[in-house]
Amino acid sequence: MKRIYLHALPVRIWHWVNALCFFVLIVTGAQIRYRGIMNVMSFETAVNVHNFFGFVLIGTFLLWAVYYVFTGRLKVYIPDLNIVRFILAALKQAQYYGYGIFVGDQNPHHATPDNKFNPMQQVAYFSIMFFLLPAQIVTGVLLWDLDRFAAIIDMVGGIKVLGGVHLFLTLFFTAFLFVHIYLTTLGHTPLEHIKAMFTGYEEEPEHGH
Amino acid sequence: MFTYPGGLSVGKGIYWNLSSGERFGVNRKAVLPGPRDERYWKTPALGACLAGPAAGLLFAALIPFLFMFVMLLLLPLTVFASTAALSQESQTCLGCHEAPGMAMTLGDKTTVSVHVDGKQFSGSVHSALGCSGCHADVSLDKHPSAKYATKQQFLMHLASACRTCHADSQLMANPLHQRVITRANAPPCSACHSAHAIRKVSDRKEKISTSQYCLTCHTKPLTKTINGEPVSLALDEGWIRGSVHRNHECSDCHTSYSKGYHPPPTALANVRELSIVTSETCKRCHFDMAVRYTDSIHFTLSAQGNQQAPVCSDCHGAHQVGPKAMTDTMDGVPCRKCHQDLFAAYQKSVHGMLKTAGKGNPPLCAGCHNAHNVKPAMASRSPREMCLSCHPAYAASHQQWLPNPQAHLEMVACTACHVPAENKRSIYLRLTDDATGKLLNDADVRKLLEARGIAGRKIEPKELWWLNRKLNEGGTVSISVAVSMNDSVHAHYLTPKEEALRQCEGCHSADSSFYDTVAIASAGPDGREVYHELDPKVLGSAYGVPLLRDFYVMSGTRVTALDYVGLAMILGGMAVPVAHGTIRLMTARLRRERQHRGEGREKS
Repeated sequence: MKRIYLHALPVRIWHWVNALCFFVLIVTGAQIRYRGIMNVMSFETAVNVHNFFGFVLIGTFLLWAVYYVFTGRLKVYIPDLNIVRFILAALKQAQYYGYGIFVGDQNPHHATPDNKFNPMQQVAYFSIMFFLLPAQIVTGVLLWDLDRFAAIIDMVGGIKVLGGVHLFLTLFFTAFLFVHIYLTTLGHTPLEHIKAMFTGYEEEPEHGH
Repeated sequence: MFTYPGGLSVGKGIYWNLSSGERFGVNRKAVLPGPRDERYWKTPALGACLAGPAAGLLFAALIPFLFMFVMLLLLPLTVFASTAALSQESQTCLGCHEAPGMAMTLGDKTTVSVHVDGKQFSGSVHSALGCSGCHADVSLDKHPSAKYATKQQFLMHLASACRTCHADSQLMANPLHQRVITRANAPPCSACHSAHAIRKVSDRKEKISTSQYCLTCHTKPLTKTINGEPVSLALDEGWIRGSVHRNHECSDCHTSYSKGYHPPPTALANVRELSIVTSETCKRCHFDMAVRYTDSIHFTLSAQGNQQAPVCSDCHGAHQVGPKAMTDTMDGVPCRKCHQDLFAAYQKSVHGMLKTAGKGNPPLCAGCHNAHNVKPAMASRSPREMCLSCHPAYAASHQQWLPNPQAHLEMVACTACHVPAENKRSIYLRLTDDATGKLLNDADVRKLLEARGIAGRKIEPKELWWLNRKLNEGGTVSISVAVSMNDSVHAHYLTPKEEALRQCEGCHSADSSFYDTVAIASAGPDGREVYHELDPKVLGSAYGVPLLRDFYVMSGTRVTALDYVGLAMILGGMAVPVAHGTIRLMTARLRRERQHRGEGREKS
């Protein structure tokens, strides 16, 4: 067994705080949208908790950004700029997920600290971390104070449009979460990747390389 | 005797000329100048100075005695004047009839006074006629017994005596008489002129004020009819005395009337018109208030021919105009006369309770609705500015706990939270003309609704979309939203602030009753709002996204279509692990076999 130090401490902290925020924000967000249909907590509590964890999420997002920018590891998120090479690698990865994995083929991608994500992960996480999550943060902050941001809200088409975007992104994240958690079970053992996110070390069988 | 004539030789002293006041001092001996009829008074200077005040004091002390003396001289004249001038016959009659309380029983068993005040009669213009001059059937020789069935019959019989001297032609010359005496139920002459105290009209007119002259008749139970509708013309003198106009003459308001002229009646459609026409006179003095009144809902209604709309006298009274301060009391506020239901609600409100208890300075009706430029508070308009004009600090205090206070205060009427929860709220969509900032005319909105055949029924979201497009063809119309009370009576149930709703769920809940009624608001012909009900689905409809772009109540008005999109996305996300995991399970055997053969891992 080979131990690879894949997830640095700041990354692990960010990941789990972020996970907690996602969970709380999805639940309180649902409560804010569906009060009267779902009654887990009072509306006021839901709003206050949602606002609080929203800002925690922003804080932890900044932690992520600072870590990746200053360590220079931000490039793990950037897909291969050679588009042909990237497409070939992505297809190979897709073939693995769609076929190879069933017949016992080996994962074409081997995670290292400098090359953590396979091409498909890169596309997904690059979109999420560079566009979707920032968009969710921006729409969330605008919705947090309608009075202060009234002019901007009006510019983007009103509160209903803004709320719609915020909801749509939430739905995407929620749907993605099922896929994300499922994919963590596809490691060497079902709990391998999850354990690694706590310890930082990924274990990989020696053979095969 | 204490004076010295001119030309007299006098000794030492100071002499004062009594005609010129000239001082003439003598040291030893001298001859007083001037002829003999020139009189001199000898006294030192101090004596002359004191003489004036001393004489004044003496005179002042004597005045009461002088007055009493004069009165004593006049007393016999006044006391004995009354009957002294009367004839022997009259004095004989008064011998009995001057007895106070003398009365006669009539056929209907009622009594009528036959007492005559001799003093009044002697001052009467008819005193010279003596009693039999009018009571022709009575003389010193005969005194017929009573034969009248009723008081009216008695009075009418006696009144006929007046007509023997005062011919119809004389009476008809006066338009006022003409009107009164030609009536079937004309009152007896004595009703206005009295029986035994009749004065010469011209003499009396000079001595009394216009008001006193008018009240001669108008304190009597006078009535008239306007188009068959009876109206009282009688006044209580006490009303006038208690009125702020007590120092005015009747003719100050009833300008076409005077002591000398009583115009014929104006042609009016009904009694109500009398109040409306007469109230015009108030403008003469209260012009500023009359101008303000023209900016009121009451004036608009009145101008549109609504006779129920109040005019000056409806709020202030006609002859009993009270002081301004009276209108600021729970009992004296005039609005309650017509708006009983609203006032009853106000009485239960925090303002009404404080007012009743006499605490602080809570507003009465006019505090929010104005006094003369009376405005209706409209359901679709948040009366925020009105409330904040007295409670300016509350704008800031709401910011301390209420998220998005501006958005809340702009769209939610104060009443929506400050009225007990059991009263119904509604959502109003204000159709506002951007050019004028005012509500659209309902006539224009109704015309469109009728053209599409949807007037009078709930408007569907798609129809609202169409209506908005149509309205925007001729200009820019925007829709703003207000959460407010559904009923104007309920809007008056303002609670103490401790009892205000602080439950967000009142609005922020999918099952809130606030969203049961949604209506568009436009301006009716009298300035009040007119509502056309909408299907509440519009709040959660996709059509509502651009139409009600600023109105999103979390949990309350979510776009329901997005729920289905969301469900599909989440189910899609869940399908990936389920499908992929199932295939993995199904292919587990394949992998095991392959691993067993030592393949696979080496591949790729």
